[in-house]
Amino acid sequence: MRRRITNRIVPVYAALTSYSRLPLIAACGAVIVFALSVGAPAGAQPIKMYIQGPGSQLSAISISGLKDLGGDSDHSLSSEFVGTLRRDLELSGYFRIIDPHAYIEDPQTSGYQLGQFNFADWRSINSDFLVKGAVKVDGGNVQLTALLFDVAQQRRMMGKEFTGSASDAPRMARRFADAVLESTTGQNGPFDTKLAFVSTRGGRFKEVYTQTIDGQDPFRLTDNPTINIFPSWDRSARHILYLSYKSMEPALYLADLQAKRETRIVSSHGRVIGGAISPDGQRIVAAVEHAGTTNLFILTRDGEELAQLTDTSGINVSPAFSPDGSKIAFTSDRSGTPQIYVIPAGGGAAKRLTYSGDYNTTPAFSPSGDRIAYQSRHGRFDIFVIPSSGGEPKQLTDGEGSNEYPSWSPDGRYIAFSSTRSGRSRIYVLMVINQKIIGPLTEGKGDDTCPAWSWWLGE
Amino acid sequence: MTRVQRGRGGWVSSSRGMVGARVAVMLCAILVVAGCSSKKAKQVNAPGPASPLGEQNQNGSSLSQFQNGSLGSGANGPLSDIHFGYNDYTIQPQDGDVLRSNAKWLNDHPQSRVQVEGHCDERGSEDYNIALGAKRAQAAKDYLVTLGVSPGRISTISYGKELPICTEQTEDCWAQNRRDHFAVSQ
Repeated sequence: MRRRITNRIVPVYAALTSYSRLPLIAACGAVIVFALSVGAPAGAQPIKMYIQGPGSQLSAISISGLKDLGGDSDHSLSSEFVGTLRRDLELSGYFRIIDPHAYIEDPQTSGYQLGQFNFADWRSINSDFLVKGAVKVDGGNVQLTALLFDVAQQRRMMGKEFTGSASDAPRMARRFADAVLESTTGQNGPFDTKLAFVSTRGGRFKEVYTQTIDGQDPFRLTDNPTINIFPSWDRSARHILYLSYKSMEPALYLADLQAKRETRIVSSHGRVIGGAISPDGQRIVAAVEHAGTTNLFILTRDGEELAQLTDTSGINVSPAFSPDGSKIAFTSDRSGTPQIYVIPAGGGAAKRLTYSGDYNTTPAFSPSGDRIAYQSRHGRFDIFVIPSSGGEPKQLTDGEGSNEYPSWSPDGRYIAFSSTRSGRSRIYVLMVINQKIIGPLTEGKGDDTCPAWSWWLGE
Repeated sequence: MTRVQRGRGGWVSSSRGMVGARVAVMLCAILVVAGCSSKKAKQVNAPGPASPLGEQNQNGSSLSQFQNGSLGSGANGPLSDIHFGYNDYTIQPQDGDVLRSNAKWLNDHPQSRVQVEGHCDERGSEDYNIALGAKRAQAAKDYLVTLGVSPGRISTISYGKELPICTEQTEDCWAQNRRDHFAVSQ
């Protein structure tokens, strides 16, 4: 007898125990199919799981401490791994983490492999899924094993082994969180990535920062008392392109985070006031202003001009590459108001995408290229999405505060954006499928704006 | 309403040339402002950290005023701001007199230079507003040129919505921020 793991109603805020001060906003009833790859037991079928946003069904997961196989007697590595994994799975919007106080067994006395522990201990606390694992520290070397179990079917779903140093434990947790999402939803999770954003947390000046999605590894990229805005990543997540007034005029800079150096992107046509890097990292689409007119050009990273994309006497800004690098979405006022257009990256005719609303801007292609998210003004701004070949726009945010600067997660299920819904501007995430709002991902003094979600960090 | 029209073309200068010219203009501005900064200094209400360009630039650009904490303190120099409608860069009829007065001052002070700064209110995206501010700055430059000011004495810059002089979320405040500011360097 297989217990359905779907029809449990949880309170609105239950899924976000450690983020309970964060608002979860009503969403409509979309359906998510969990494509569980149920391999072993006879007659097991893929299980359909319905997630309908807050107040509806979330999978209950228990995350047990890691068994100490030597060198982690104070369980500090275990705590770091489990803490990060908890936060990530909460942020995913798919899971409710069962309170560790309810756990019956002691991870240090029980085993972590299939057959070495009692599933009844986890079924009795209504756990759908269970994470167990072990850690061993040998010198500076950490070996960490983590396993995901389906409690109802009493089977192992997935396991990962990680090796690294002690400081790598949170990163291991982020990679395991991505694997948990892949195992339970059929699609890799978005947590082994970085978020770049702009903040005034350091004082009056806008500076570019990065952090992990779960709020760790804060890094300040710029430190000059001017204006630094619009960070965007290349696909290697090694470079950040951003606009700065540090020379007392607007200019675009390409920062190499590894080599810790940067180059200024210049154009023979005028001031570069915005831009984006191509997915292959070789080209930059730049918004270049001259005599009040702003047009788009394709440049090499050295500033050599490959193509002029637009040639109007007005404004053409906010360029964004499609994931295959073949198209550019951008904002133009050629119709009289800011609207979203798409143009071939090699040049050609621009196709207008948006017709409703008198201020549509900041387009961003989804990772599969089929949709474009953007912000649209009706009073304040909200995030919308529209098919990239044209069609009906769909509103994704709810009118709470002003919602701006959509940036897709690499798996395409989430959009980071900035919102004033709680007063100061913060970075939030929305689940595209059901419009559930998650976050904020940032906190502290100042306003946080202009989020940019990187691609997966890779090895 | 006067809609200032511009033609296209003229995108010929090399980038290094343009950057060089701007640097030259900025250096000029610093040197020139140094001469008059002493008598203006008392208008600066809230001195902050010195800007990279030094004390003498404190009545210069809005960005240097923002750096030293004097933005919005009224230390505006000899020329008056003009204002714009929402998401608009046309010169408004009531600002014709302001621009004529600004042009007269510039024509009376032929050694002076001016940088026209385009500014926007907080609504809308940062990048679109930088382009919109560039339109606003260019509109005033073109107007001043029609009034006899040599284009070589007028540079432009856009600060988008980054340097508001009023930070409340009211229409009155937004209207103050939708402005061209004229930073004179002599």
